[in-house]
Amino acid sequence: MVPATSFAVEGDAGRGERVFQRCYSCHSVDPNDKSKLQGPSLHRIMGRPAAAIPDFEYSDAMRGKAAAGLVWDAAALDRFIADPESLVPGTRMTTPPLRDDQERADLIAYLTLAGPYGH
Amino acid sequence: MRPVLYALAALFLIPTLANSQESKYYDVPKGDFPHDVAVGPSGEVWYAGQKLGIAGRLDTATGQVERIPLGRNSAPHGVIVGPDGAPWFTDGGQNAIVRVDPATKEVKVWLLPPERMPYTNLNTAAFDGKGRIWFTGQNGIYGRLDPKTGDMKVWDAPKGRGPYGITGTPGGDIWFVSLAGSYLANVDLETGAAAVYEPPTKDQGARRVWADSKGRLWISEWNSGNVSVYDPAGKSWKQWKLPGEKPRTYAVWVDPDDKVWLADWAANAIVRFDPVTEKFESFPSDRPTSNVRQMLGRKGETWIAESGTERIRVIRYPAKTN
Repeated sequence: MVPATSFAVEGDAGRGERVFQRCYSCHSVDPNDKSKLQGPSLHRIMGRPAAAIPDFEYSDAMRGKAAAGLVWDAAALDRFIADPESLVPGTRMTTPPLRDDQERADLIAYLTLAGPYGH
Repeated sequence: MRPVLYALAALFLIPTLANSQESKYYDVPKGDFPHDVAVGPSGEVWYAGQKLGIAGRLDTATGQVERIPLGRNSAPHGVIVGPDGAPWFTDGGQNAIVRVDPATKEVKVWLLPPERMPYTNLNTAAFDGKGRIWFTGQNGIYGRLDPKTGDMKVWDAPKGRGPYGITGTPGGDIWFVSLAGSYLANVDLETGAAAVYEPPTKDQGARRVWADSKGRLWISEWNSGNVSVYDPAGKSWKQWKLPGEKPRTYAVWVDPDDKVWLADWAANAIVRFDPVTEKFESFPSDRPTSNVRQMLGRKGETWIAESGTERIRVIRYPAKTN
């Protein structure tokens, strides 16, 4: 078990890999993945400032949030996955809200395995 | 599950006259997030309410919306009206193909085989000439359901992730495109084998595809900002850049007069392309970030799902084809 967040629900990275199928069509956690995906790489997402990958074409909405200081820590990811549009109005990410607390915690635990930003 | 009726306080009828076209906008209930839209034979309009897991039925005369819950965890992405006159949904949340009976509102669910992948990110569907519904899953699959027998087959897509829009031709053939794979594919209706057709523009990011009356395949290219066409008879490609500095072509639909309707996110507009004159005509939304992901229509009507403003828009125009 990986304690992904300080929330009441503890995440499990093994289950989170399965939850990641919801993200898989647009995101990768593999640093060597050269696929032309619509979403930015999630390799070393934890602690990364929003809209921080230089070559990726983010939406204006995401750039605006980045300018306002959004950083992808566990709490921010939890809010974004729960309802992308409410945290970043106008985001291009159209994944339906993931309302299950346990699934979100599992997914964040899995993303934590992808390493911390800057390392 | 009981459908819920919503009488909307405001029915927005905002004519935007431009060369005798007229736009009308219908609000749908907040939070529905109309991803895709389709119009039925009697003019009723259906949309996929992705965030709430509902089928929305819009009465265009009154502006009333009827919400029909599709099931637990439902999150429908696409909707088309089948040859039976019913709306058919590609439901990513349930990982299922879902039909709503237009009269009784009964919901029927066909789950994808779970052993392959519990979440395939179902995208869009189209009927072949034999009454079977074909579908794409963006996680890297495509499949076929025979509603009469319940037989469902799922195949791995070429190049993995990416299958997105899909269309049936007047001859009953099925073609789909891959967003991540940037290709067009034709499936063998019996074996399911997919033959890939590489477009001339590398990494064009094909979002959606639609067939015209001659069976040519029109493709909206997100990455390149192009509209392209593949002619299977002549085995030839052509492409055109949409107007503007950096267009982003998302949706495509070809009307019965073979005019090509496109959604350009950069311009926040619907664009109509005339393949004869090779001219574009723009119909901007009256609100910012309309985020049109799909449109469908019938003679003289193009129906548009504005996911960003949570509205359904229709553009009406003089049509030639009977």
